[in-house]
Amino acid sequence: MTKRIFSAIVGVSALVVALGMALVVGVLYGHFSGQLEKELEKEARYLAVAVENGGAEVLEALTGQQERITLIQEDGTVLYDNRASVGSMENHKDRKEFQDALKYGSGKDSRQSDTLSEQTVYYALRLKDNTVLRVSSTQYSVLSILYGLLQPIACVIVVLLVVAGLVASKASKKIVEPINRMDLDHPETTEAYDEVAPLLTKILHQKRTIREQLLEAKRRQEQFALITENMEEGLLVIDSKTELLSCNSSALRLLGGKRLPDPQSVLALNRSEPFRKAVETVLQGNHEILSIPLGGKVCRLIVNPVFREKEVTGAVLLLLDITEKTCREDLRREFTANVSHELKTPLTSISGFAEILRDGLVKTQDVERIGDRIFTEAQRLITLVNDVIKISQLDEGCIPYEKETVNLYRMGQEILERLQSEAEKADVTLHLEGGQAELVSVPSILEEILFNLCDNAVKYNRPGGSVTLSVKETEKGTEVLVTDTGIGIPASQRDRIFERFYRVDKSHSKEIGGTGLGLSIVKHGAAYLGAEISLESVEGSGSTFRLFWPDTAE
Amino acid sequence: MRNRFDEQLEQLHVEIIKMGALCETAISAAAQCLQKEEKELQRQVFSTDAEIDEKEKEIESLCLRLLLHQQPVAGDLRRISAAMKMISDMERIGDQAADIAELAPYIVQKNLSGRVKIVDMARAAVGMVTDSVEAFVRSDLALAEKVIEEDDAVDALFDQIKEEIIEQIRRQDVDAKVSMDLLMAAKYLERIGDHAVNVAEWVQYSITGVHKSNEHHPDL
Repeated sequence: MTKRIFSAIVGVSALVVALGMALVVGVLYGHFSGQLEKELEKEARYLAVAVENGGAEVLEALTGQQERITLIQEDGTVLYDNRASVGSMENHKDRKEFQDALKYGSGKDSRQSDTLSEQTVYYALRLKDNTVLRVSSTQYSVLSILYGLLQPIACVIVVLLVVAGLVASKASKKIVEPINRMDLDHPETTEAYDEVAPLLTKILHQKRTIREQLLEAKRRQEQFALITENMEEGLLVIDSKTELLSCNSSALRLLGGKRLPDPQSVLALNRSEPFRKAVETVLQGNHEILSIPLGGKVCRLIVNPVFREKEVTGAVLLLLDITEKTCREDLRREFTANVSHELKTPLTSISGFAEILRDGLVKTQDVERIGDRIFTEAQRLITLVNDVIKISQLDEGCIPYEKETVNLYRMGQEILERLQSEAEKADVTLHLEGGQAELVSVPSILEEILFNLCDNAVKYNRPGGSVTLSVKETEKGTEVLVTDTGIGIPASQRDRIFERFYRVDKSHSKEIGGTGLGLSIVKHGAAYLGAEISLESVEGSGSTFRLFWPDTAE
Repeated sequence: MRNRFDEQLEQLHVEIIKMGALCETAISAAAQCLQKEEKELQRQVFSTDAEIDEKEKEIESLCLRLLLHQQPVAGDLRRISAAMKMISDMERIGDQAADIAELAPYIVQKNLSGRVKIVDMARAAVGMVTDSVEAFVRSDLALAEKVIEEDDAVDALFDQIKEEIIEQIRRQDVDAKVSMDLLMAAKYLERIGDHAVNVAEWVQYSITGVHKSNEHHPDL
C-alpha cells in the first residue's frame, strides 16, 4: 500500500512538472513570436520612411543591423540585401510576403529553415515607388529552444522528482501508519479511517463467530472425549488405510498397546490374526461381530464400516471385555451339567428301587432295606438341592440375612457337638482351642462355613486322627483355624478344591458322601462375609484352613 | 507429491506389520504342530506361508515403486532399504515354518517332542519372531537388542537337543530316521532365530543407520 501511494504521488508530481514545462514553453514561445513580429514591423516602417526619403543608399549606410534587410523591385528582382550579394539571389516574386505586400501594402510570413531548428520571420512593406522593403529575423523553433534548455530542464526535473520522492515517501508512510497500527485483535477499540470502519466491523463480527464456533467445537470434542474416555468399552476409529484416527484409553488397555507418535496404524496396536481379519473385513465394507482372545482376555469386537458416497472411508471398532461373562457362562454350563449329573444319580436309584417294588420283585423282608435306600437317596437329593439353593443365593448376593454379633467360640462348641457322633464313627477326636471371640456377621452363613470345614476335616481324616478348631482374636483381626491330621491336599489341586463339584479323589466320593459343593459354599460364604480364606496343606499329614477377618472389615 | 510419499511410506509400514503378523501366525502354528498332530494346523501353516510369499512380492514392488518414483534420501531411503531386507528374512521364516509343519507329524507320531526340549526351543523362537516384529512396529531399539541377545539361548538349546539326539541314537533306543527329522526341525527353529535376529538388526539399522553385520552373519 505504501508503495502504491508513493508511486502515485511521484507519478502525479512528474506529470505536473512535465505539463507545467510544456505549458510554460508553449505560452512563452507564442509571446516571444508576437513580440518579434511587432519589432520587425516597427523597424520595417522606420526603414521604409528612411528609404522613401533617402533612397536605397540609406540602407547601405546602415551597419550593425541584426535583422536582414532586403529591397525588392516590383518584378521580384532583389535590389539590395545586407547579408548576401545581390547578384547571387534569385527572383523573389513568388514569396508570399512579397506578393501580399504588393497587393495589400504589407505582408508577413514565417518559414522553417532546412534544419528545422530555425524559423525565419519575414515582414514586407510596399514603398511608394512600388519597391518592397523586407525585414526578416531568425528565431529558434520550440524544439531547438527545448533542446538548448535540456540540461537545466533535466536538472530541474531531477531535483523536483527527488523532492517529490522524499515528500511522497513521508506522506505515504503517514497515510498507511494508522492502518498498520490497527489492533486486529481488538478491532472495536481501533480508531482508524472511516473508510476501513466497515471492514473492522466485519472483522469484529467474524471474530466473534469464530470464537463461538471454536468454543462449540472444543465443547463437543471435550464431550466426546469425556464420553469415550469413561467408557468401559474400547472405541477405535480408523480410516481406510487402517490409520488410527481416534482411540480411547479402554481400547489401548484391551489391545495391550501403547500410544505411539501419530500417525500409526491400528495394526501396530494389535496384529493378532482374528483382529487383523476383522479389520480387513470391515474395510471391505462388511459389518461383523466376533469374539476374539486378546492377551488372556476374551473380547467381543464389533466392527462397523463408515461409508461416504458409497465408498468405505473408514471404520468404527468397538471392543467389549466379555472375559467375565464368558467365564461365568462356562462355569454355569459346567455347573448345570454337574448338577444334572448329581441329581440324576440318586433319582436313578430311587426310580430303580421303586420299579422293582411296583413289580413285586422284592421280598417282604427286603422292603425295609429298600425303603432305607430310597430314603437315603432322597435325603441326598434334598441336601444337594439345599446346597444348590444356598450357593445360588450366595452367588446372587441376595441373602435376606441381617448381621448380628456372633460368639465364635460358642458357635464352634455347637458345631463340634453336632459332629461328635460322626467323629466317633470315624475314630477322630475333636478339639476346640482359643478363647472368646466375637464377630458381627451373619450367623447362618458363618455356621455353614465352619460346619463344612469341620465336616470335611472329619471326613478326610484317618482313623486315630484329630480335628482342631481354633478361634482367636489377634491384633489385626479375628482368626479361625481348622486343622486336621488327614490325607492332605496335593499342591497341584489346591487351586481347584473350591470349584463346584470338584473332588480331589473322584473314585471315593460316593463313600465319603457330600455334594461336592461344601468348599464352594465356604468360598462364596467367606467372600460374602468379607473373610480372607487361605489353605496350608502337607500331603499325607493334614491341612489347615484359615479364615481371617481383618479388623477394618468389621 | 510429498503427501503421497508419506502415505506410501505409511502403507509400507502397515504392510510390513501385516507380513510380520503372518510370520507370527505361521511359526506359532508350526510350533503347535510339534505338540499335537492336527491336519488343520498344518494346512494353516502352508496357507500362511503362501500368503507370506505373496506379501513379500507386494511389499517388494511397493519398495521399488517408492525408490523409482520418489527417489528418497537419508532416513526414508534407509527405511525402505531396511524394509526390503527385512521382508526377505520374514519370507524365510515363513518357509521354515512350513518345513517344520511338514516334519512335525513324524515327530509327534513317535512322541519324540516330549523327550527333547524341542517345544521349549519352538517357544523361544516364536518369542523372538514376535519380539522382532514388535520392535519394528514400535521402533523399539531396546527390544531389538533383546532379540539379538535371545539368539544365544536358542543356539544353546539347539546344541543341547543335538547332543541328546546323538545320545539316543548311540543307545539305540530311538528310530534314527525320525531323530533326523527332529534334528532338522531343531535346525529350522535355530535358523528362524537367526532370521529374527536379522530382522531386529534391520530395525536397528533403520532407526540408527548402523548395521551390526560384522557381529552376526546374516544368511540372506
